[in-house]
Amino acid sequence: MSAYPGGPATAAPGPSSRPGRRLVRTVTVVASCLAVLAAALVAGVRALEEEPTVTLLANWTGDDETNFREAVIAPFERKYHINVDYQGSNAESQVLGADVEAGTPPDVVVLTGPGELAQYARQKQLLPLEGLVDSADFGASWATRLADGHVYWFPLKADLKSIVWYPADVGERQRERAVRRPAAWCVGMGSGATSGWPGTDWIEDILLQRYGAGVYQRWARGELSWRSKQVKAAWTAWGGLVGAGGDPGLVRRALKTPYESASLPVARSPRGCTLEHQASFIRKRPVWQHADGRYESSAQLIFGAAGARAWEVSGDLVALLHATPEAKKLIRHLASAGTQRAWSEKESGFSVHADVRPDPGDAASAWHRSLALTLRDKRAVHCFDASDAMPPAVRDAFAEATIEFLAHPRHLEALLRSLDTLSRSRGLTWLPSVCDRSP
Amino acid sequence: MTAGRGTTPRAGDGSGPGFRAGDGSGPGFRAGNGGGMTPRAGDGSATTAPTRPRVRPAGRRAPGRAARRLAAPLARLTGAGPRPPADGSTTAHELAVRHRLLLALSALLTLSLFLSYQGVHADANPLRTSSAPAVLSLDTALYALGQAQQDAGAPAPTSDFQKQISVAAQSLAAAAADDDIGRPAGRQALQTVAGLITVYAVKVQQSQLQPDGSVLREAYLSYATSILTEERSGIQARLKDLQRKQRAAVERQTSFGPLLWTAWSATALLTLALGAALLETQRFLRHRFRRRYNRRLIAATVLLLGGLVVTVLFTVWTQQGMADTRALLDRPLSGRLIPDAGRRTASYLAHTGFRAAAAVWILIGGVLLMALAETGLRRHIDDYRFRPR
Repeated sequence: MSAYPGGPATAAPGPSSRPGRRLVRTVTVVASCLAVLAAALVAGVRALEEEPTVTLLANWTGDDETNFREAVIAPFERKYHINVDYQGSNAESQVLGADVEAGTPPDVVVLTGPGELAQYARQKQLLPLEGLVDSADFGASWATRLADGHVYWFPLKADLKSIVWYPADVGERQRERAVRRPAAWCVGMGSGATSGWPGTDWIEDILLQRYGAGVYQRWARGELSWRSKQVKAAWTAWGGLVGAGGDPGLVRRALKTPYESASLPVARSPRGCTLEHQASFIRKRPVWQHADGRYESSAQLIFGAAGARAWEVSGDLVALLHATPEAKKLIRHLASAGTQRAWSEKESGFSVHADVRPDPGDAASAWHRSLALTLRDKRAVHCFDASDAMPPAVRDAFAEATIEFLAHPRHLEALLRSLDTLSRSRGLTWLPSVCDRSP
Repeated sequence: MTAGRGTTPRAGDGSGPGFRAGDGSGPGFRAGNGGGMTPRAGDGSATTAPTRPRVRPAGRRAPGRAARRLAAPLARLTGAGPRPPADGSTTAHELAVRHRLLLALSALLTLSLFLSYQGVHADANPLRTSSAPAVLSLDTALYALGQAQQDAGAPAPTSDFQKQISVAAQSLAAAAADDDIGRPAGRQALQTVAGLITVYAVKVQQSQLQPDGSVLREAYLSYATSILTEERSGIQARLKDLQRKQRAAVERQTSFGPLLWTAWSATALLTLALGAALLETQRFLRHRFRRRYNRRLIAATVLLLGGLVVTVLFTVWTQQGMADTRALLDRPLSGRLIPDAGRRTASYLAHTGFRAAAAVWILIGGVLLMALAETGLRRHIDDYRFRPR
């Protein structure tokens, strides 16, 4: 029984506002908790989907891209949990130009042309690498200090040019005979957007071996006319070697063949060609692996010199355009000896890092060790690929001119005049030096 | 009236079935404590509650500090706190249990329904405004470039070639508006393709400037063709790669995966639990307080059912539209099929934006549901807030 019959009627209720206040408070607290919890859950799920990313633009495609991804990018992604969005294209220069103009360049870029990089540095598009990279690891000729005192790039990969590849079973006599036969040269000028560059390599190397590093450097710095007798002679010599304007079938083959397929006739029987004037990276092609490709310096084979007067070299140079934390980590990773060694071991190129020295006892093949030692030979003169060192506009016009010259060698004078006119344009950035030792 | 039976403020109340007289032995009850219900007027046991000795039975260990800490909020939530006096009323206690149960279930259901609903509808808007148009834009770009390549071999430069290049470029710009492609990684890929298209057009134009049948014409056209068709690094390969990723994004947005099934199953179970709790509480009040209906609890039940029907219907419609869209975009399209697919996609995904925006009403409805449960029971609970005079 109730001790107080009548219940509520006899009860003394509390203050009338208390239940109302409590209700408001409860509902407010619950609603706030719900809203915060729901928002946190939704935001949390979305945040988990995000992954830090760094964008990287380079020119490697195909097998080189695969090697690069395996040896360089994958370890970085595993170590730092940063996604690298890699874009590889032989139209890298055009793509980068458009990206920069649009204000959306990649974070990191790997370019073959120090001339192009110097131009971007002048436009304040590149960021100095001091604090991220020790330029002493690569030497002053590779990690060049520009006029403003900053270093803007370093090499991730280097290659030796000034060499001619041939199958192991081709003797010295056969090589000497082949040199004078245009059909014996494996020539491929095709390279998509950058078609024509194999021709520029030929002309640069002939100029370097014939006239030495002094003339070469003056030309690469824009100080020697394209119509000078040395440069004109280099063009003419190349035309003679590969049969410019000669056998239409040969010219057609040279012009239409992509550079990476130029050596395919080596595997045919009878051989479609025997010699290939190409940089060290071409040795990775299956044809040269199958033919156990050997190399000889172009100075020795073409000009009968006792040895090369100087070596033409090229490099893939890393530069920073956005200093995000992820991009800085990637720069440090690419400049590290471990990464450079891993990349070098893939035999897609060579490292010139001071701590990545070729070991006579390592598993690398003889040609790889030998080329690596030549690249680091302190007694030899190494000159950077002149077209890569030139301003991009001149470089591209040079490549185009080699294509036209191969089909119509009689146009040489007009082509050289155009190149001279272009080279004298104002606003072009020329590198002060392209060789590692003053000739 | 049976002695010791749970007494209520109203004479005769509390005689309904399922009501245990003098119930005070339930789990979690402790002697000597008011049990979340201070002995008050109207509670017949208020002044007669015996005090049990605070002695633990031999062999029983006292709960650890952690266990006590854990038990306190749990007891507070379920109302299974300190029990009422041994021979006292349990009505207040049972009201408190139901009150907290209804609030907790309402909160959980609101959260579960909101997340389940968002899981489906949050993707509908990006799919309609961004992902689906991006897939079609990439289809358009690929088709236009295929047409351009056919025109590239023409003996003289044609306006059709330029038109197709413009279409491709504009389609890429449209695809860049997509949330996924528009991220730094996707944007970089698109910019690379855009740059390559420019180079491709230049090489085609260079070839067309050479005399018909000349070796240079062939050479430039071969360079252009390699830029377009090269395996893995050509324009078409890159666009197809982007398209593959974009289709994967559409697949992700439109799939009703295990996580969503789990969320909706949990929502269904919570709805059943809350519905059952509302009905049981209604029944409890009817028996205990002789009131046929508690209008606020009925309103809560109607709100629950109505809200659920609407959200389920909205979700089924949206999910169906998304599934139809995925089926439509799952294969490469070309020519006139592309604009047709655009129209059909727009019709499949019509009104999804409105339905997605309804998510906020789930939170509002949840708060309303809790307010109705609170006010529906508060009156009865307050009836027990009296102290003995």
